Amino acid sequence: MNDVSDDVVVRNALGIHARPAAALAKRASEFESEIYITFMGNRVNAKSIMGLLTLGAARGSRLVASCKGPDAAEALAAVKEVFESGFGEA
Amino acid sequence: MDFSSLLVKRKKSIPVSRLLEHVTHDMDFEMLAGYQGTARPVYTWDVNRPGLALSGYLDYFANDRVQILGNTEIHFMERMTPAVLSSVVANMFSFEIPVFVLSRNLVPPPVFLNMCNRNGIPVLRTAMSTDEVISRIILFLSEEFAPETVLHGTAVDVYGVGCLIVGKPGIGKSESALELVERGHRLVADDLVELKRRREDYLYAQTNKVVRHHMEIRGLGIIDVRSVFGVGSVRNFKRMGLVVELEEWDDKANYDRTGLSGNHVEILGVRIPYLRIPVRPGRNIAIIIEVAALDQRLKEMGISSARQLDQEISLRNQYMEQ
Repeated sequence: MNDVSDDVVVRNALGIHARPAAALAKRASEFESEIYITFMGNRVNAKSIMGLLTLGAARGSRLVASCKGPDAAEALAAVKEVFESGFGEA
Repeated sequence: MDFSSLLVKRKKSIPVSRLLEHVTHDMDFEMLAGYQGTARPVYTWDVNRPGLALSGYLDYFANDRVQILGNTEIHFMERMTPAVLSSVVANMFSFEIPVFVLSRNLVPPPVFLNMCNRNGIPVLRTAMSTDEVISRIILFLSEEFAPETVLHGTAVDVYGVGCLIVGKPGIGKSESALELVERGHRLVADDLVELKRRREDYLYAQTNKVVRHHMEIRGLGIIDVRSVFGVGSVRNFKRMGLVVELEEWDDKANYDRTGLSGNHVEILGVRIPYLRIPVRPGRNIAIIIEVAALDQRLKEMGISSARQLDQEISLRNQYMEQ
């Protein structure tokens, strides 16, 4: 079992709203590992749209993504990619 | 599901302003002095009556608690000359004190109020009796300092029994909850359940304030349960009385076939009855949860279906033996 984590930054203008949350949850669900996002003391499951929405992460927010499981490294890379791309938004 | 690895949060301190904003409605506080000190931290749920400190004995002075001033303290202050009172209070103020609370609309000596103003220590006053003030403040603070956690699952009030439905993503927690709501039960929280321990043995689930009673149903997207089903279909918090874990049907697993074992799980130190329910296409989970809730109510009334049948059969067997 691998356990990896890294910082990610919200790049898009509107922060994590419904569409970015869905994009992230969809990508996260492709992995077997448990994936959590932590922001301001709250930790939520990255596979849960509702969980991600409650974070209230605006542009510029620095969050911690942590993955645990057999494909943790790949999952973390994928999560970082989703954040870096600004969830496909400007 | 492992309930012991939940991330437990517990507040270390709350500012005095929180006491004001949340108890104001039922306590009707007015602020007499120390307006600039509302950010002062309160570290503990307990309160202190500073009678001994006022008499000059400051060993073991529980200075970090909310200080309650009732008839005794105020009349004791009034008996002192302003000079003596100010030196006594100055000694008390060498300790960090979060806030003073006066009961019965008592009027403290001006010297005392002036010193509280100078030192920025808030003085709050209410018309309630001292014991009422103490019990309400302790109740409020112990809830503020209660341990809390967030769990991935769904909470529904089924026939008055708070059911916490857990299980892997995609197993059908939300769909089961939706069917329960459709059958007239009430949704507390979906996907993200905030849990809080009240007193020693009550576990409460509550709705997240941001997403409230919205649900994500795969294939439908996000729906607002309160708008779709009406205000009677939701509630904001509910004591949890049953944990139901949904899991994929496994032919080799040992499911409870009698209901005699009575399993429990511990969440935030509270023991709650626990059921594992295997899911398979064609199995109506909502109805199973409904029956589980009803059976739980019966058990709470001292009636166990499985045990009663077992006893009857044992008796009959004994009778037949002779």
